[in-house]
Amino acid sequence: MVYVLRRIGFFLLTLWAAVTLNFLLPRMMPGSPTDAAIAKLAQNGPVTDATRKAIEAQLGVPDGNILEQYFGYLHQVLTLDFGVSYTFYPQSVSEMIWQAFPYTIVLVGFVTIIAFILGTLIGVLTAWKRNTWLDALPTLSGSFASTFPYFWTALLLLFFAGYVLHLFPTSGAFGPTATPAFTWDFFMDVLYHAALPALTILITSLGGWIIGMRNAMINTLGDDYVTFAEANGLKGRTVAIRYAARNAILPNLTGFGLALGGVVGGSVLVEQVFGYPGIGYLLFNAVIGQDYPLMQALFLMITVSVLIANFLVDIMYGVLDPRTRR
Amino acid sequence: MNPILEVKNLSVVYESSGFNALQAVDHVSFALEAGEFVGLVGESGSGKSTLGLAITRLQKSPARTNGGEIFFRGKDIRELDAETLRQQRQGGFAMVLQSGMNALNPVRTIRNHFIDIFRAHGHVGKSGWDARQIDLMEKVGLPKETLARFPGELSGGMRQRVSIALALSLEPQLMVFDEPTTALDVLVQQAIMDTIKSLQKSEGFTAVLVSHDLGVVLESTQRVLVMHEGRIVEDAPSRDILENPQDEYTRMLLSHYADPRAEVVELPGFPDRARRDTGAAARTSGATARDGRSSDSAIVVDHVSKVYPPPRRGEQAVTAVDDVSFTLEPGQSLALVGASGSGKSTIAKLITGIEKPTAGTVTFGQLDVAQLGRRQIRELHKNVQMIFQDPYSALNPLHTVEYTLTRPVVNFGGLRGPAARKRVLELLETVGLAPVEQFAAKLPHQLSGGQRQRVVIARALASNPQVLIADEPVSMLDVSLRAGVLALLEDLREQWGVSMLYITHDLLSARLVTDNIMVLNGGRVVERGNTAQVLQHPEDEYTIRLLDAVPNPARARGAAV
Repeated sequence: MVYVLRRIGFFLLTLWAAVTLNFLLPRMMPGSPTDAAIAKLAQNGPVTDATRKAIEAQLGVPDGNILEQYFGYLHQVLTLDFGVSYTFYPQSVSEMIWQAFPYTIVLVGFVTIIAFILGTLIGVLTAWKRNTWLDALPTLSGSFASTFPYFWTALLLLFFAGYVLHLFPTSGAFGPTATPAFTWDFFMDVLYHAALPALTILITSLGGWIIGMRNAMINTLGDDYVTFAEANGLKGRTVAIRYAARNAILPNLTGFGLALGGVVGGSVLVEQVFGYPGIGYLLFNAVIGQDYPLMQALFLMITVSVLIANFLVDIMYGVLDPRTRR
Repeated sequence: MNPILEVKNLSVVYESSGFNALQAVDHVSFALEAGEFVGLVGESGSGKSTLGLAITRLQKSPARTNGGEIFFRGKDIRELDAETLRQQRQGGFAMVLQSGMNALNPVRTIRNHFIDIFRAHGHVGKSGWDARQIDLMEKVGLPKETLARFPGELSGGMRQRVSIALALSLEPQLMVFDEPTTALDVLVQQAIMDTIKSLQKSEGFTAVLVSHDLGVVLESTQRVLVMHEGRIVEDAPSRDILENPQDEYTRMLLSHYADPRAEVVELPGFPDRARRDTGAAARTSGATARDGRSSDSAIVVDHVSKVYPPPRRGEQAVTAVDDVSFTLEPGQSLALVGASGSGKSTIAKLITGIEKPTAGTVTFGQLDVAQLGRRQIRELHKNVQMIFQDPYSALNPLHTVEYTLTRPVVNFGGLRGPAARKRVLELLETVGLAPVEQFAAKLPHQLSGGQRQRVVIARALASNPQVLIADEPVSMLDVSLRAGVLALLEDLREQWGVSMLYITHDLLSARLVTDNIMVLNGGRVVERGNTAQVLQHPEDEYTIRLLDAVPNPARARGAAV
C-alpha cells in the first residue's frame, strides 16, 4: 500500500514537472508564432504595426507577468482548454484530439498489448523447446520480420493486400458510407479498416518480444531455483511457467512500459501511410501546417501518456515482484 | 543387504563445440548402503559436483554421461523416461543445491514452494498441507511464520534451511547435499551442519555430502570418497582417512588442516611463526630498508564508530562499528576476525576512505582519512591498497594481466613505456608468476583461482604501498592453494616491510600470518592481543564459539576415539 502511494506521489510530481516544462520551453525559445507569421508576410512587402497587432490579437499573445501566465496555463491544462486549432479553424484543439484519440488507442494500444502477450507466449515456448524446430521457426521468422522498417512493411501490405488483392481498404478508419455511431456495423467497419495498420505493427514488433522473452527465459532456466524445482520433481509446466517464465518476464516489463508510452506518439508513419485519422496523423498535419496550439497540446499528451504507462508498469512491478514492494 | 545406490564405471563428459571435450568424471564406481552418511570430497574441478548431479539425474547439456551405469534400488536411472523420473523424485533421491541462496524462486512465498511440491506428487492430502509444512519447518529449526515470507526476506542460512525442508518434504531415501554450507558464515555453517547431521539420524535417509572441505566432511560423515581429476582416489571410513590415508592426494589435503588452538601450528611450506626467524627486529629493518619510508606512517584508528541509518522507516539504526581503536604499525600484521556482520569489512572501508566514520578519527601518518581532498585521497590510495576476497570477480575479464597491472604502475608510479613494462614484469616475478612474459599476456579466464589472486596481489603492490588490507584473500581458494598465497603475503611483509590488516573469519590462516589479533562481535572489539596467545587461551565466549566452528579433522578424531 505504501508502495502504491509512493508511486502515485512520484507520478504526480513528474506530471507537474512535465506540464511546467511544456509551459517554460516555448517561452525560452527565440521567436514566436507572431514572428513566424510576420516573416512570411514580409516577403510580400512591408508589414505595418497594425498588421502585427492584428496577428497578435488573432493568435492570442499572452499578457500579464510570467507567474500569472503560468497559473492561467495551469488552469487551462486542468480544464483541457488548449485553444483553437489554426489549420482546422474553428475547431478547438481538444475537440481535434478527442476525435483522433480513440482510433490511436484502439489501433496502436490494443495491438501493442496483443504483440507483447503473443510475443511473450511464443518466447516462452521457444525457450522451453530450445534447439528444436519449435524454437528455430518463430525465432528466425520473428527476427526476420522485425528487421523491416515500419513504413516498408506498411507499403508492402498496402500494395499486395490492398491494391492488388483488394482484401482490405487502403486508407481511412471507416468506409465513406459509414457514420460514426456505437453500432455493430460501424464497429466491424472500423475493425476491417484497422486490419492492415494493425498487422503492420504486429509484424514489426512481435519479433522483438519473442527474442527478448526467449533470452530472458533461457537465463532463468539456468538459475538454481529452476534446477531445484526439477530436483523436487515439479511438473514440467509448473517449472516452465511459474518458475522460469514468471521471473523472465520481469525485465521485459520495462520494455513494455516504454512501448506503451510510445503508443500515442510513435505511430506517425504507420498512420500516415494508411491515412488513418489517429494522433500520429494529426501530429503530422499539425507540424506541416505550423499549428502551434495543436502541436503543443499533442506534445503534452505524448509526455503524459509516457508517464501514465510508466506508472502502470511500476504498479505492475509491485504486484509481480515482491522484492520491489519495500 | 542390497546397496541403495550403485554406480558402476560412470563417466561424464562436458562437450561443447569449439572446445576440447572434458572428462569430468572418469570411470567412477562405488556403492552406498541404506542409512549411510558419506562424504564426497575434492577441490574445484575434481568432478564432485558433476558426479552429484549425475546420480540425481540433474545434469544438463553440455554435460553428458558417456559410459557406466547408475543403479538406484536396483534400477538403472539413466534409462528412466522423464515422467517416471519426475514421479520417483518423491520417495526417491533428492538434492540440496550449492548456494541455497538462489535455490528458491524469488517471486513465490515459502508456503507456495511447499504447495508446488505437494501438488506435483499428491503424496500429502490437501487437508494435511498446513500441518505438514509446519512440521517440516520445525524439523529444520524455523518458525512457522517463515512460510508466509518471500525468499528475499530471509537470511542465507534461513534459505538454506528452507531448501533442506523442501527436499525433506519429498520423503527421500537418498539425499545429496552439494556444498550446503559454502558461502555461509562460519557460525551459521556449523549450525546448518548440525541440523543436517541430526536430521540424517532422525529421518534415516542415506546422505551424500559433497564438499571441498575435508574438515567439514570428516566431522560429520562415516565414510569418505576422495575425488581428484574425475576419479575416486580413495574410498574409506572417515577414521581410516584421518589416521591412515593411503592416497597421496588425500594426505596432501589433510596436511592443510591444523588446529588454530594448538601450541605449534604448521602447514606445508609454512613453519610455525614462533619457530621462524621473523623477529620484530627483522621486520623493522625490512620496513626501513625501503627508501623514503617514514616510520610514523602508522594507521591509527581512534575511538571510531560507524552508524548506518535504519534500513526501513521505523527500524533501528545499524551500528556497524562501535568505538573501535587500534594502531597498525609499519611492518606489523593485524588480524581482524569475526562472523559476517561483525563490522570487519566496514573498518576496511573506513580506512580506505570509502566510508566516513560517524565518530572518532582514522589517521594515516599525518593524513586524517575522513578529511581528505582529491589529491590526498590519491596519496592515501597509493599507500593503502586492498586485496579482495573473490579473485574471480576482482579482475576485468576483458583485460590482459599486463594491462591490469600497467594501470596502477602508470597512474601511481608515473612510469611510461618500457619502464612501466619492466615494473609490471617485476611485479609478476614478486608474486611468483613465472615465466613472467607468458603470464603478462594472459587473460583472467586462462588463470587458475590461485594465479588470479596472485595477480590481484601484484596489482595491490604496483603502487608500492605501505599497507595492504587483505579482505578474506584465501577464502575462495582451494585448500592446496591457500598456503601458497598466505606464504606470499608473509614474504611480502618480511621483505618489503608492508604492514597488513588481515580480515578473515578463518582463524587458522589468521594464526599463520598475523602477529596480533582483534576479535569483533557486533561492531565491538571483544578480545585482542597476540594472535597465538589469544587463540590458545581465548577468554571471550564469542572467540570460543568461533574457534569451535572451525572444521577440524583432528577434533573429529578426538570424538571418534
